[in-house]
Amino acid sequence: MSDFEQNRAFWDRHSDEYQQTHREHIGRSEPRWGMWQLPESELQVLGDVAGKDILELGCGAAQWSILLAGLGARPVGVDNSERQLEHARDALAAAGLDFPLVHAPAETVPLPDASFDIVFADHGANRFADPYAWVPEAARLLRPGGLLAFSGSTPFEAMCWNEPADRMEPELHLDYFAMHRIEESDGPVQFELPYGEWIRLFRANRFEIEDLREIQPPPAAESTYRTAEETEWARKWPMEQIWIVRKER
Amino acid sequence: MSHVDRNREAWTEFAPEFAECAPRAWGRDEFEWGVWNVPESELGALPDVAGMDTVELGCGTAYISAWLARRGARPVGIDITPAQLETAGRMQAEFGLDFPLLEASAEDVPLPDESFDLAISEYGASIWADPYRWIPEAARLLRPGGHLVFLVNGTIMILCSADEELPPGRELLRPYFGMHRFEWDGTGGIEFHLGYGEWISLLRENGFAVENLIEIQAPPEGESHRFPGLPDREWARRWPSEEIWVARKRS
Repeated sequence: MSDFEQNRAFWDRHSDEYQQTHREHIGRSEPRWGMWQLPESELQVLGDVAGKDILELGCGAAQWSILLAGLGARPVGVDNSERQLEHARDALAAAGLDFPLVHAPAETVPLPDASFDIVFADHGANRFADPYAWVPEAARLLRPGGLLAFSGSTPFEAMCWNEPADRMEPELHLDYFAMHRIEESDGPVQFELPYGEWIRLFRANRFEIEDLREIQPPPAAESTYRTAEETEWARKWPMEQIWIVRKER
Repeated sequence: MSHVDRNREAWTEFAPEFAECAPRAWGRDEFEWGVWNVPESELGALPDVAGMDTVELGCGTAYISAWLARRGARPVGIDITPAQLETAGRMQAEFGLDFPLLEASAEDVPLPDESFDLAISEYGASIWADPYRWIPEAARLLRPGGHLVFLVNGTIMILCSADEELPPGRELLRPYFGMHRFEWDGTGGIEFHLGYGEWISLLRENGFAVENLIEIQAPPEGESHRFPGLPDREWARRWPSEEIWVARKRS
């Protein structure tokens, strides 16, 4: 089974439980990023979205895209899991909205070249698709000067996860130079790259690097994704980051 | 005492040891990076330097500038430590290479704006000067389109190091957030180390485009280094002990 098929099966299987568990945490009234739901109004990653064509890679139940539509954007949501998109369709109907939802892996998106101003993901397809395939795809889909922004895990998290003990540790386990495809027993296939690999991949696809926001959750931050101990770990070392890059004109 | 004075004092003390190694570094034909002597031909960190005006920030014994000179560049070396510059001067005479050496801090360089095509630092100002001061200086010194290439200690390695004299282990001993000024126990020098995102913002704020970050993996075999505070080969095969940032001043 290919990685995208394995991850599709994983998300079809886990979608209901995922949406149930995180419904309130990620179903806020304004766009928020990541595991601790930090507001876009503070982070200012996407800028003004009104009138922009925006593609969300790994949209899940489309919580983000629905809020962006409310801010005047023209969103399109892509997800690799049909079950996730069923949740998204329900959510669109409930919000009285109608925008395209596309069932596809982020490595091969059936949409035309240069058709978006912003491509983004919030712990979306960027975690579950191979960067060497989806970053070129994002570059193809963006117009010149378009923005690519995505939040996800970090090399530190990948290195310091003690899988047998099922916890974060202040200790290096995974080899940094071997980082790319990370497969855990019973889990989806996930991807993370060394910092320099990301930079070279962006440059090879004609992206200019604008920022790497390393998220330090505020002391009182809460999460349905992370335990209090893990949030404490994340106050010391980066567990979440947002890359912000722009396609050259 | 300012970090500049402290570091001049520390490097005056280290200078004899580096004077001893200088002839060997100056005598090498290949341009090699860092303590694992990885050849530039493998890393590709530098542009073609022939005909370029280059400034080496924290040049020490100036072996980098010597290599640049042999490749057709017009180097200038600056350093805060007279004892190191004395060694550099002796090497120039010994190897028949002549270029300006200047006693100055990379945080305040007495040279005109936009007078260089390449600013370079290997274990120099890149570690011993405050990046919030020397990066703006490098930006000022470079012409539009000019290259900035500097080598620093591996960020992960710094987090795993207990002391300047002990090699890193696998445990993260200090937080990443807030990395900046480091004063190790029992030694004279003050070092500066930033996180990845912080380097990117600082470079961007000073008009640089970030072109590359080359994380050096120790080669499988070869000569060992002589620094007790740096990792052994096994560690440095798994995690980066050195990182080269490559940036370019936007036109």
